[in-house]
Amino acid sequence: MSIYLPIAELSVNIFLLLSLGGVVGFLSGMFGLGGGFLMTPLLIFIGIPTNVAVATSANQIVASSISGTLGHWRQGLVDFKMGGVLLIGAFFGSILGVWIFSKLVAIGQIDTVISILYFALLTGIGLSMLIESSKVIRDRIRRKSVKQKIHYHNWAHRLPFKVRFYKSKLYISVIPPIIIGFVIGILSATMGIGGAFILIPAMIYFLGMPTSKVIGTSLFQIIFITALVTILHATTTFAVDAVLAFFLILSSVIGAQVGVLAANKLRGEEIRALLAIIVLGVATKIALDLLVEPNEIFNLSVIRLVF
Amino acid sequence: MIRQLIILFYILIGVLMPSVSIALVIGSDQEEIYIDANFSGEELLVFGAFYSDPSQSRDSKSDILIEVVGPLEDVALRKKDSYFGFWLNSKSVTFRDVPGFYYLSSTSELTNEFLVNNQIGLLEKEKSEMIDWSSLTTDWGSVVNEKEKKEFYNALIRTKQNDSLYKQVSDEIEIIDGNLFRSYIDIPNTVPVGEYNVNLHLIIDNEVSQEYSYNFVVTRVGIEEAIYSFSKNYPFFYGLISLIIAIIIGWSGAEIFKRFRKI
Repeated sequence: MSIYLPIAELSVNIFLLLSLGGVVGFLSGMFGLGGGFLMTPLLIFIGIPTNVAVATSANQIVASSISGTLGHWRQGLVDFKMGGVLLIGAFFGSILGVWIFSKLVAIGQIDTVISILYFALLTGIGLSMLIESSKVIRDRIRRKSVKQKIHYHNWAHRLPFKVRFYKSKLYISVIPPIIIGFVIGILSATMGIGGAFILIPAMIYFLGMPTSKVIGTSLFQIIFITALVTILHATTTFAVDAVLAFFLILSSVIGAQVGVLAANKLRGEEIRALLAIIVLGVATKIALDLLVEPNEIFNLSVIRLVF
Repeated sequence: MIRQLIILFYILIGVLMPSVSIALVIGSDQEEIYIDANFSGEELLVFGAFYSDPSQSRDSKSDILIEVVGPLEDVALRKKDSYFGFWLNSKSVTFRDVPGFYYLSSTSELTNEFLVNNQIGLLEKEKSEMIDWSSLTTDWGSVVNEKEKKEFYNALIRTKQNDSLYKQVSDEIEIIDGNLFRSYIDIPNTVPVGEYNVNLHLIIDNEVSQEYSYNFVVTRVGIEEAIYSFSKNYPFFYGLISLIIAIIIGWSGAEIFKRFRKI
């Protein structure tokens, strides 16, 4: 059974869409990620045009990060003030990102740029997850416990415009979070990701936020970045496919909840290592598409008139 | 109704004018193809009859040719080149007023000479040798030499063929009883929306003896049309509604499963 996507202008198998959303949702629920970094390349693999894949992923992430934020909010683990400051940067970043995106579409280089960005992102994520999970597995075998630093002090604490963030117990300049938000905004708009994978380490290492507040706060601000990116794409690139989004959201929300349940029952490291391998597999596929001489070196795109 | 009148007209010509030994009578199963939520491509049926005076035997040399030309569109064709081992888009050519869909089928293989003389067809490779470059509205960009222009033109046709949007065949028209013909034309799910021309030619002794044309439209309907036009006309509200749907499903999903877990 297939469904016609009005914006992508093609029909796809409905079960393929539901299982794609379900699997990505399951992984995102299990690992507490948005899942956009897998959703966008997988949509492109099944034949969805790049611009529609990016814009629609952003819309889907809104749903999955709302689901995630609610739990953290109830436990008081969201630093709204920090989220707000990050959003100031993200606001301008995503406007710039959508502008860059539409320029790249116009000169026909969007596919290449997206491929390269995704290759870099996925390789980074995959390798770091693989290293981290194999370390944990090794330490468990050796019965060692890992000690972690609670607080980092660095250059971010010496800049002007200092503000007190009570929830995170921080007194730092607003400049670093605004810059981090700005970069995440650009990436979110061009790649259709929430950016948690970059945001979370940045919040811990650059801002020195307590780990307990980081996930909730990052999810909270991802809701707003991706919401803004969805609106910007809908109004400038016209690439948000509501029908595609609907099926992906439905299946990913269910998948995410099942993933959360599964995460409580299964041991994390092995699955994390498995996810790392999946991520590296997707990265390899993207790299091969860039490096191996394609069967057809010509590609056609219809220049549609907007009416 | 109009279709029936035309068919009747042709039958009358056949009967009343014995000098016309063969007349073309055609029909089609639909005048509109609707793109709705379930649309996954369609088969268009074109059928008809070579009407001939029963007292005379049908000329065995007669052929039927069916041509379907989709709405015109502008396309950008890009060529990939290797840069430091990476295959990246480099040269780009814009072709204007290219049919979004093209189908040509005949009861026997037609010579290029015939197609060129009658200005039919655009797919045969040999024909591109004699393209009149000036007749194509094309922005060649950095492509200057004739050899490369030809390469781009051939690639345009090839990529459209790979997407099942261009096709030329000589074995898809079924002849029944020697007098009736029928052909199913594959309309893939990626076809552009707009007006399509169906041209039928009756060919006798390598000459077009009769022509008949009609139109059909491919159009979005129902929810597909509503969503598409809403996204174009009210992009801000379209984005907002997409968001609201995401928020509702995301929120309610979390709530529903929270209850599950408590039980």
